[in-house]
Amino acid sequence: MSHQPPAPLPLFDRNLLCIVERVVPFAEREEWSRAWRAELWHMHHRSRSHRIQTLSVITDLSIGLIWDALWLRTDSWRRTLSGTATLCLSSLLGLSLLSTLIALVITGGWHSLSPYLNDHFKRSLFAAPLVVFVAFATASRRHIEQSSTNNRLYWIKRQLFFAVKISQVLLLAFLLSADICQPIHTPLPNTADFLQVLCFVIFALVGLRWALRDQEQRCKQCVQLLATPMRVGRPSHNLLEWNGTKLNCKQGHGLLSVPEMETSWCQSSQWVDLKPSWEQAASV
Amino acid sequence: MNTPRLSHSAALILKALSLGYCFGLDVMEVTGLPSGTVYPALRRLERDELVESKWEPEEEATAKHRPARRYYEVTREGKTAALAATQRYPLLAHLVPEKRS
Repeated sequence: MSHQPPAPLPLFDRNLLCIVERVVPFAEREEWSRAWRAELWHMHHRSRSHRIQTLSVITDLSIGLIWDALWLRTDSWRRTLSGTATLCLSSLLGLSLLSTLIALVITGGWHSLSPYLNDHFKRSLFAAPLVVFVAFATASRRHIEQSSTNNRLYWIKRQLFFAVKISQVLLLAFLLSADICQPIHTPLPNTADFLQVLCFVIFALVGLRWALRDQEQRCKQCVQLLATPMRVGRPSHNLLEWNGTKLNCKQGHGLLSVPEMETSWCQSSQWVDLKPSWEQAASV
Repeated sequence: MNTPRLSHSAALILKALSLGYCFGLDVMEVTGLPSGTVYPALRRLERDELVESKWEPEEEATAKHRPARRYYEVTREGKTAALAATQRYPLLAHLVPEKRS
C-alpha cells in the first residue's frame, strides 16, 4: 500500500521536508514525514479551491513544520535525559557558568574578577570541610544497601557521581556568594568578606542537603532518579503495618521503600533489587 | 484524577477539536492560531492523553484521490479538561463556532 500523495508536492515543500526531517528522531521520522506531506498537500489543494493567500499560509505552515520537528527532538531529549546523572551534573555546571558570567559582568572583566575570586576562594576553601562535615553529621542517612548493590562497579559509579555533584554544589555556592557580595565589596570590604563567607556556608549547607537527598532517591545501579512515587499503607495503622512511599527505577533495576515514620521495627529505607526480567518489562 | 490546567491556546485547540475540527489545518483556520502554536500543542495534548491521533483509512483517501491525513480525537479525559477549560475561560465557547457537517 503506497503512502505517497496522489500529486507530488512543489519542489520547495519537498526540499523543506527533506531538510527538516533530519531534526526529527529516527523512530518518528517516517510518520512525521507522512503526516506533513498530507498536510501540505491539503493546504495546496485548499488554497487553490478557496483562493486564500497561498504565500502567507505556506510560510506559516513551514514554520509550524519546523516547530513540530523541533518539539519532537526536544521531547526525545527530555525523555532520554530526564532524571539522569548527566542532566544533573550538566545543570549544575551550567549554573556555575552562569554565575561566573554574572560575576564577569559585575566586575567588568577577568582582570578585576580574578584577584577578587582568589581572595574569597581561600576563605571558602577553609570553610568548605567544616560545612561538609556539618551537612553529613546532620543528614538523615536511612539507607540500607543490599545484595547486588554491593557490586563494586555500581558502588564506584555512585560515589564518583556523588563526589562530582558535591564539588559542583560547593563551587556553585562559592560563585553565588561571590556574586551577591561583589557590589558592596568596594564601599564595605570587611562586611562584604564576612557576608561572603556567611552566604557560602548557607548556600553550601542547603546545596549539600539537596545533594544527599537527591543521592538517596537515585537508582543504586544506573544512578537515575527514581520515579512513580506511590503511597502504601495508612498513617493511622502505623503501629500495625508498614506505611510509606515506594519509588521505582524507570529501567526496572530496583524499588526503594521509604517509611513515613522511623519505627523501632523499620528504621531505614529499603532498596530491593529487582530480577533482570523486570528490566525487560520496564523497557517495553 | 486532577484536571490538567491548560494554557489559553491549548484550551482553544482542545475546544476546536471537541467541536469536530479534527485536522491540524482546520484547527489553525478556525482558531486563527499560527501553525507553530497548533502543531506542538497537539503533540503536548496527545502526550498528556487528552487527545489521540489516528490515520484516515488509506482506501477512503485513495478513492478521493488525496493522501490520508492524521486526525485528532478528544479522549474522555480531554472532554473533562475541555469542560473545565470552558468554565475557566468562558469566552472560549464564543470563539470557536460549531462545525457544520
